[in-house]
Amino acid sequence: MAKGFTLWFTGLSGSGKSTLAEQVRDILLERGLKVEVLDGDVVRQNLSKGLGYSKEDRDINIRRIGFVCNLLTRNDVVAIAAAISPYKEIRDENRKLIGRFVEVYCKADLDTLKARDPKGLYEKALNGEIENFTGVSDPYEPPDKAEVVVDTAAEDEEASVAKIIGTLEQMGYIPAGDGRGYSEEEEESIKQRLRDLGYI
Amino acid sequence: MRFLRRRSRKRACVVGLDGVPFGLLKTLAQRSVMPRTAAIIGEGGLKQMRASLPPVSSVSWSSFMTGANPAEHGIFGFTDVSSDTYQLRFPTFADLAVPTFWDRLGESGRRCAVINQPSTYPARSLPGALVSGFVALSLGKSVWPKEHLPALERMGYQIDVNTQKAREDLDGLLDDLDSTLETRRQAAAYFWERENWDYFQVVVTGTDRLHHFLWNAVEREDDPRHERVMGYYTAVDTFIGEMWDRFHKGGSADKEGEGFVLLSDHGFAGMRKDVRLNAWLRENGYLDYKAEEPTSVAEITPGTRAFVLDPGRVYLNVKGRFAKGCVEPEEAPALREELAGRMREMSFEGEKIISHVFTREEAFRGPKSALAPDLVLISRNGFDLKGTTKGKEVFASTHFQGMHTWGDAFVWSRLPVPDDPEIANLAGVIMEYLSG
Repeated sequence: MAKGFTLWFTGLSGSGKSTLAEQVRDILLERGLKVEVLDGDVVRQNLSKGLGYSKEDRDINIRRIGFVCNLLTRNDVVAIAAAISPYKEIRDENRKLIGRFVEVYCKADLDTLKARDPKGLYEKALNGEIENFTGVSDPYEPPDKAEVVVDTAAEDEEASVAKIIGTLEQMGYIPAGDGRGYSEEEEESIKQRLRDLGYI
Repeated sequence: MRFLRRRSRKRACVVGLDGVPFGLLKTLAQRSVMPRTAAIIGEGGLKQMRASLPPVSSVSWSSFMTGANPAEHGIFGFTDVSSDTYQLRFPTFADLAVPTFWDRLGESGRRCAVINQPSTYPARSLPGALVSGFVALSLGKSVWPKEHLPALERMGYQIDVNTQKAREDLDGLLDDLDSTLETRRQAAAYFWERENWDYFQVVVTGTDRLHHFLWNAVEREDDPRHERVMGYYTAVDTFIGEMWDRFHKGGSADKEGEGFVLLSDHGFAGMRKDVRLNAWLRENGYLDYKAEEPTSVAEITPGTRAFVLDPGRVYLNVKGRFAKGCVEPEEAPALREELAGRMREMSFEGEKIISHVFTREEAFRGPKSALAPDLVLISRNGFDLKGTTKGKEVFASTHFQGMHTWGDAFVWSRLPVPDDPEIANLAGVIMEYLSG
């Protein structure tokens, strides 16, 4: 039975893709799964070094990430991609290539992103210091059929992570719960409760 | 725009009363112990309903929330047995093998708020909010999404009454039932306002606890706690009335009462004796233990041909199915027939104990039927079937006063519930209404 799948985080810069990807990775590792994260910022320093931010270069970058995710997925690894990936067509191309593909749309309004702006990029982009900045001077096409939508402007990280993990469980891509059932201590408590009502 | 669309949507509100039998609800309504309920059910729509097989909350509520047979949703009891070690295991919400109808409503953008639903622990994501019920252990793992946890903690939300204490302190149990119901009320009010729901559900489980420990006080007017117990039922009735008023005040019901559902997951009856089926199997040469005082079926001898898990689930120890199976698969049908026949004839002081014997094929339909018990026994009122390995005596008396029953759960609804309903029918009825 196939165990690999690709979890693809898409959304504007600062929308929480990398943060959520790391948290989901940690949970999946704890559950004994093999996991690799392909973070857009990191990929651009090696696999896609030299590429710029034109539509053509962005498409090449996302296709490359998709290619690696496909290799990992078919070898029973959970591939987590966290990249702006602004164009729907290329994301859908990767979805088709990989098959076991779960899209997570990290949604956040521009005002929230401007307020967060950990790298000061929005301020620079709005001042015209950065060209082709997605959401300001370059388009972003939100997914219309993402398996998970996390509203990172409205919900806390824990709720977003729970939503993602819950979806993966529901889709049968990861074992439900923590994969181990109850701990010994919990099991004892449950036995006691069942005894208290005469159920065992 | 969103507001207009929301108003035109149908909404449903379900109040579950765990372990309340059809006959008792009617009686309490007629006697004005439950006047609000009497007014709601007064114009018809109350039906007797079959619980799941076996009639325990974990199975019955799982059938309710999925609309599926146990052989589809995979929950056959509060316990399962390992085919390798014969050790008991305790299914979690994660073992539910099919989506709940809340999940399916979510696929069409509808949201649910579900409070105190048994067999949903640990809580997982669903479209809306969930507070798990029995056998939930910690509130932290019972709430989804977690953002609701602080509010529930602030209101002192109680998952359940203290059943360990209840045995020694029945008056304390009654106090506990009142305070648990009060936090259930507060939680319902909270989620009613906080969640943008299309489907709302709250389950009162205190009724089941009351019946286990104080059934005599429910039935007998001369019982010293009868008035107090009736007071609890009136408090439950007030809560039902509040939910009804809230549902109608918001203009949620398209027609009078439509979309409001009352139900129980199984019935209850007074009990005379525990019937220890493993002791009967031992006495009749079908089962033996390696230990003098066994603590579980994991201690059966290799020659054991059958054993029982609570409440009346009979498993044949068949080669290939169980690691130490000794019954040849081709011999299993005859053994099953023999056991069904003999167990059907079991009696206590000349009175028959068993009312129904269901074979696996009769009771279970679905891809997990291979995991189902070979037989499910249903007893006559007064005889509580047990899978305990304790004791050599078949019949025993305990401090419990009530036992679960199968054929007399109830449902009240103006929705088109089929005649002679079973609890698994309701998910489809509610889904169809909300989708219409």
